[in-house]
Amino acid sequence: MKLIINDEINNLTVTTITSLLSVLEQPGKGIAVAVNQAIITRQKWDDFQLSENDQVTLFQAIAGG
Amino acid sequence: MTGLTDQEYMRYSAHLLLEDVGEKGQLALRNAKVVIVGVGGLGAPVALYLAAAGVGHLYLVDDDHVELSNLQRQIIFTQHQIKQTKVDSAKASLTQLNPHVEVTTFAQRLTLEKADNELANMLTQVDLVIDCTDNMPTRQVINKICVTQKIPLIVGAGIRMEGQLISFNAKQADSACYHCLYPFDETAEVHNCSTSGVLGPLVGVIGSLQALEAIKHLTGMPVSSFNRLMRFDGKTLQWQHLSVAKDPQCSVCSSNV
Repeated sequence: MKLIINDEINNLTVTTITSLLSVLEQPGKGIAVAVNQAIITRQKWDDFQLSENDQVTLFQAIAGG
Repeated sequence: MTGLTDQEYMRYSAHLLLEDVGEKGQLALRNAKVVIVGVGGLGAPVALYLAAAGVGHLYLVDDDHVELSNLQRQIIFTQHQIKQTKVDSAKASLTQLNPHVEVTTFAQRLTLEKADNELANMLTQVDLVIDCTDNMPTRQVINKICVTQKIPLIVGAGIRMEGQLISFNAKQADSACYHCLYPFDETAEVHNCSTSGVLGPLVGVIGSLQALEAIKHLTGMPVSSFNRLMRFDGKTLQWQHLSVAKDPQCSVCSSNV
């Protein structure tokens, strides 16, 4: 499936956000995920089905100030 | 409520020229009580701009002292204030800037355990909280208080060359909260400016936007960052806007309806 992850095109065999993070070897700690500019809350990661051409944003929470 | 004095007309004339503020907005600012938690790289511009704007009562919460390494970005402090408490040093600067502003200081860390003290009492009477802290546990505490007390919250964060801004309004039943966005406990990996570095103007940008959003909220203008995470890349000057919806299963705000 073609996904645009942080502005880069990727072809990956994934279904949910949880499976995507697993394929990308992202532990998910301190991470937030948005799909098509909408944050997907952590509770939905197991169920949220990614679709062809989805724009995925993976980023770190930051707490500095 | 008395109107503006001649001195206030002069001081705030640039506000009074704005249709969105005017005398009504300036009086709203004068009547406002705003808490700034964390007087560092973000809290410095927030406090300076809100004092300059004539916010009537500012409450500063920070348990730190001014250090030499703070002066690279925390522009409210000066060299001769090193080793003094941040809140007292900031109060001195703010009072010099605008003597009309009342400043109350709390040289302590904000925790949920101190639920019966003066600080907790103050938090029941304020209009707005601005999160300018440097660590995740305190951010979660602030969020919990704002959800419980139904206080609007403007959150800023900055590290390295990256900034984030988002606001929540617990007065609205459909508002998300900080914990919907970042449901991490204390063990989650986080970074702060003393361990990862930061450019001064980066926290200046985010802090200035927190002050802007605060003034907009207090004067009744729509706040663009409600339920909307704004990510700023200081290297490319690019912004990314991400919507945040309330998590119906959020352990902090889901019962707040």
